[in-house]
Amino acid sequence: MSAKELLTTRRAVLAGSGVLALGGGAVAIFGAGGRTPVVAGANNGNLVLEAGKTSAPLAGENAAIPVWGYNGSVPGPAIRIRQGQAFEAVLDNGLDEETTIHWHGVRVPNAMDGVPHLTQPPVEPGNLFRYAFTPGDAGTFWYHPHQRSFEQVGRGLYGPLIIEEKDPPQVDRDLVWMLDDWRLNDRGQISGGFGSRHDAMMAGRIGNTITMNGKPSAPLIARPNERIRLRLVNAANARIFGLDFAQLNPVVIALDGQPVEPHRLTEPLLLGPAMRADLIIDLDSPTGTEHSIRDVFYEGLEYDLSAIVYQGEPIRKARLPEPAPLPSNPLSEPRLPSAERHQIVFEGGMMGMMSGDRGGMMSRNQSGSGMMGERMGGSGKMSGGMMGWTVNGVTATGHVHDPIITAARGETLLLDMSNDTAWWHPIHLHGHSFRVLSRNGRPTRYREWQDTVLMAPQERVEIAFVADNPGDWMFHCHILEHQAAGMMATIRVN
Amino acid sequence: MRFLHKVAMSFAALAMMPSVAVAQEARPFATIFKNPQCSCCESYGDYLEASGYEVKMVATHDLALIKERQGVPAGLEGCHTMLIGGYFVDGHVPVDSVNRLLQERPRISGITLPAMPAGSPGMGGAKTGIWTITDVAADGATSVYARY
Repeated sequence: MSAKELLTTRRAVLAGSGVLALGGGAVAIFGAGGRTPVVAGANNGNLVLEAGKTSAPLAGENAAIPVWGYNGSVPGPAIRIRQGQAFEAVLDNGLDEETTIHWHGVRVPNAMDGVPHLTQPPVEPGNLFRYAFTPGDAGTFWYHPHQRSFEQVGRGLYGPLIIEEKDPPQVDRDLVWMLDDWRLNDRGQISGGFGSRHDAMMAGRIGNTITMNGKPSAPLIARPNERIRLRLVNAANARIFGLDFAQLNPVVIALDGQPVEPHRLTEPLLLGPAMRADLIIDLDSPTGTEHSIRDVFYEGLEYDLSAIVYQGEPIRKARLPEPAPLPSNPLSEPRLPSAERHQIVFEGGMMGMMSGDRGGMMSRNQSGSGMMGERMGGSGKMSGGMMGWTVNGVTATGHVHDPIITAARGETLLLDMSNDTAWWHPIHLHGHSFRVLSRNGRPTRYREWQDTVLMAPQERVEIAFVADNPGDWMFHCHILEHQAAGMMATIRVN
Repeated sequence: MRFLHKVAMSFAALAMMPSVAVAQEARPFATIFKNPQCSCCESYGDYLEASGYEVKMVATHDLALIKERQGVPAGLEGCHTMLIGGYFVDGHVPVDSVNRLLQERPRISGITLPAMPAGSPGMGGAKTGIWTITDVAADGATSVYARY
């Protein structure tokens, strides 16, 4: 089925039977009480996600602030589906501009990936698009537009996509904390200036108001010895969270939806934009105890993100034993000896000329691409220091470029990536999960699978994956202002 | 607290070395709002301190809003925003322009050196090209304030 065949008119689909439009009450399904309920069953082919303008209590229940959202809420409906069971959803574009949905981290067929122009035509205002795929991996994922995402995501178009294991670990509560930040102006409204060059050349658009599931965070009330699975999703355009759980001492069981050897944190959990983490928290303090969860990422701007407050009788006599690893997902193991190695260099941004000693940025187009199509040749270092961002010397515009890498299907690719900038970058690959092999030459302890890897300034990271999903796949920084300012590329799998 | 301490120190200095202290008292305090991850803004603060100004650095994610409030024109932003003597001074403006601004006290909102030119105060590297400092009136009108 081509993308074109999936495009259809609003009338045609709505005339079909049993369309389920989820109302604006979806926000209420999050929060302190119970498990996030299923809003889209595996057998339900009639989920409609309507992108449109709405309002949300970002700063508290007293004020409904205009936002964009799916089905009238921010986040959009929490979609819970089963691993290996077919899923369908219809995007109904109620915005005044084109949009798409990208199913972040899910290894979907290329035509379902939601990248405008690259994998599908963008969906015009008033039009519909049917997405259908069968998720092979269980885990914590999310969905968001890929069209002008720096504004569409920034105004609230996103939601959690939970793909449940066939035999999920037993927990008392399975909670999603979808984290975001908003730049509210002096009138308490979302400030304009999306995609400003100043934001784009620095850390991206970072806000001043933090929300958890679209609202100010409230303490989580828990009973002693309760076991919680906490699924963290960073839906912010640019903010990196560095979460210090202190005495809560959670066990990390998955990163970016993919199971990881269960381990405890030895430093704050770093969650760049688009990244996820699944934690098991056994709350073994007595009633009356309160633990804060602090975000300590930005020096001098640390704050309490949330707190856990113990109330009531213990849920059981003693805390549960250590959690078992999650069952692994059907990922192909990279074959490193035969891997094809590619150098990837990221450059640009403010202070770009001060960073590193790599010299000029125009001579390192190793793949032989660039200077053609919509990838424009080296932006160069302007005297003002306001340069675009580059991948291998090229600042991309639009979503369609000559690929920087073309791989035969089934080949193992090893990307040796250097962040030759003064800023952090969460680098996201579509259509695949990759193993993070090393950081600055040191092997990673868990060889974690990720779809978005956070690189510190000047850091070098090696990742590897089997290019087993055919198509043209985006490879970009998920600080959405960096992406819009050229920090993206395409990897082709034949 | 640091602020009060330094004020007290300058009064003590006044008694001992009046001429120097008076010169320092005449200089207003500078508050520099900066991105928490931008190191060159710290260097600019050091540069101003070395030039005799009292400087308070404030890390913030609200630079865009601060610039909007002060009337820094879009497209002419420097990387940090300094408030001093009732003016904004945006970006890596050389100190003699700051001195001149505070001595002449023109009827403007502030001055800006866009982006982060190599070689400018607080930035590393060698100067290439001409830096144009732009002044911005309350109504947003701009003109050339200085060239380097």
